[in-house]
Amino acid sequence: MSLTRVEDYFLGRFSAMASPCEVLVDTDDRARANAACRIAEREARRIEGKFSRYRSDNIIHRINQSGGTPIPVDEETALLIGYAATCYEMSAGMFDITSGVLRRIWKFDGSDRVPAEAAVRDVLQHVGWHRVTWESSMLTMPAGMEIDLGGVGKEYAVDRAAALIAAEIPDSFLVNFGGDLYASGWRRGQRPWRVGVDDPERPGEGALYRIDVPRGGLATTGDARRFVMFKGKRLGHILNPKTGWPVENAPRSVTVLARTCVEAGTLSTLAYLQGPRAGDFLREQGVQFRIV
Amino acid sequence: MQLGSSDRTRSIRGRLSAAACMLLASGVPGMAQTADTGPTTQLDLTGLLYGEANRVKVTEPTARFTRLYPDGHSYFAQLGIDVITGASPSGALPSGRTQTITSASGNVQTVSADQIPLTTFKDTRVALDGDWRKPIGRFASTVGGHFSKEKDYESLGATGKFSMDFDQRLTTLTVGAGLNHDGVFPVGGTTGELTDPTVIVGPRSNAKQVTTGMIGVSRIFTRKWMMAFNASRTYEQGYLTEPYKVLSLVDGATGLTTGELTEKRPSTRSRSSLLASSVYHLTDDVLYASYRYYWDDWDVRSHTLDVKYRHELKNSTYLEPHLRYYTQTGASFFRFGLIQGATLPEFATSDYRLGPLSTVTLGATIGFRAPGSAGEWSVRAEYIGQFSDGHPRDAVGVQRQYDLYPTVNTGSFVVGYSYGF
Repeated sequence: MSLTRVEDYFLGRFSAMASPCEVLVDTDDRARANAACRIAEREARRIEGKFSRYRSDNIIHRINQSGGTPIPVDEETALLIGYAATCYEMSAGMFDITSGVLRRIWKFDGSDRVPAEAAVRDVLQHVGWHRVTWESSMLTMPAGMEIDLGGVGKEYAVDRAAALIAAEIPDSFLVNFGGDLYASGWRRGQRPWRVGVDDPERPGEGALYRIDVPRGGLATTGDARRFVMFKGKRLGHILNPKTGWPVENAPRSVTVLARTCVEAGTLSTLAYLQGPRAGDFLREQGVQFRIV
Repeated sequence: MQLGSSDRTRSIRGRLSAAACMLLASGVPGMAQTADTGPTTQLDLTGLLYGEANRVKVTEPTARFTRLYPDGHSYFAQLGIDVITGASPSGALPSGRTQTITSASGNVQTVSADQIPLTTFKDTRVALDGDWRKPIGRFASTVGGHFSKEKDYESLGATGKFSMDFDQRLTTLTVGAGLNHDGVFPVGGTTGELTDPTVIVGPRSNAKQVTTGMIGVSRIFTRKWMMAFNASRTYEQGYLTEPYKVLSLVDGATGLTTGELTEKRPSTRSRSSLLASSVYHLTDDVLYASYRYYWDDWDVRSHTLDVKYRHELKNSTYLEPHLRYYTQTGASFFRFGLIQGATLPEFATSDYRLGPLSTVTLGATIGFRAPGSAGEWSVRAEYIGQFSDGHPRDAVGVQRQYDLYPTVNTGSFVVGYSYGF
């Protein structure tokens, strides 16, 4: 972790969950800024370790290797799975934590390679939360299926880290894990945190516009870096679990401001899955958003 | 996704909010430990190598330890060891003929006619510093202590600082005070003032008191710009003489040296300084600039301009060039030497550090994280050039031939490692 003084706040940086992570603390007190960053880093690593699908020593691995055997899960895992189940139900099956297996056949490397129709059909046999039995903290999933909490894990880590930091320091702060962020409140001098939103045409090269966030969660869903070209059209990496294909005519990026980062992330994903109707969907929700 | 009816979509946000609330509700087992983040520790190790061409060499390893608690209070301790070897100008002049220098510690050395006499020495200094800082809301107080010891010098000090934030914490006012009690124990005993440097007249130990008061204000003007102003006043009292420095006596006509006398400085010194510093943040880079004006009642006045520019490179690496310019006037009693037979002045020194001089520092620091290493490394290299007027107007006879205060070229090299756990 590195901690540097920037303007009148401190900026802590580290890497976790395959993303650059930042904690901004509006203070002149290095010790408190340092404490905040360490809390964030520890929590990010804890959640990454516990829920990453790339590890073989955690609950996700046990579930994915269960081969149909019922797996009991701890309370925190149960809460996350419960949340995902609610999202599945609310989105009529569009938000599905079992859709990750489709990535075996989709490579979003900017090329024009798309999988064969038969391959998509085969893999779809192993997609669908309705095939999973989820009750009393016991999960039973048919062999060949996998769950992936990646769609909510990073946002969850942001909100968890923010809650832990708020319990320790009195200062205004902002937690940003790979673009999913939470701001704790007004900065000194009644100023909000100013967040730049990446230009999807030129990722990493500067903000397209800025959003002032005094308090709340902000998340962006988009195809900035991962896409395939099909018949001259650019298809982003968010897959429709029903068709097994990327969402068509989707916006380049959807940014949502909500009460928590988890809500912002879920709303931006659900909006993105609406394709061209993303804007209408978010207007109906009455949340602040930007679509590019 | 068929969410045609707006009734149905509108309900999503509410249900989502409730679900998120449940997800984030605290009390999840296993999280209690993560919330309980204890204190953190930072360890900084540096090694300094400093060398003046043909003169002093300093090796200085330091270890700095900082312990930070989540509520903001902190402890800090630093241990430094300096090993100094080499030679420093004694204050005596080139003789014009073979010259001998004697000293109270019984060393005798012979110097060829046109060389600046140097005294050689070897010393080890151990310094221990510590402080404790406690913030309480808008206020913070710091108390600290200092102890250092070398063969012929000992220093014991205490400092206290109090700071307070105003105006949405954009402005901070700091007041502080320090007290130092030093002891000087010249090797072999203390010599007299403006007398034969071989005759011990004084006590083995000489006391010196230093009192300092400071007031400072720092202000954040814009999101990118912060400035600070500091004023300090220091009062020194006691034995302020450099025990091993001498002045040459020269023949008023030929300029040939005829002997040496010890120096004599006033027993009090009142020093003041004003400092303005600014930190300006560009998009990624940072520009630091400061100016300091210093004056004292020995008539030394100095200006210091210091500029650093931190340029961020990729992968947590930075490059920071550094430029510093310093210039001072000489003390009112600074003399290149004394004329044999003339009335002795009240005070006199020919210590080049109290003469008119300028220094230029040019250097750069590179900071980086080595792959597979947890901490941060930094490497700093600096050149320091010291320039004085080597041909003072009052030099007489043969002394006019010599560059009495030659340019001194110094290099320093520092490697630092910082690790937090």
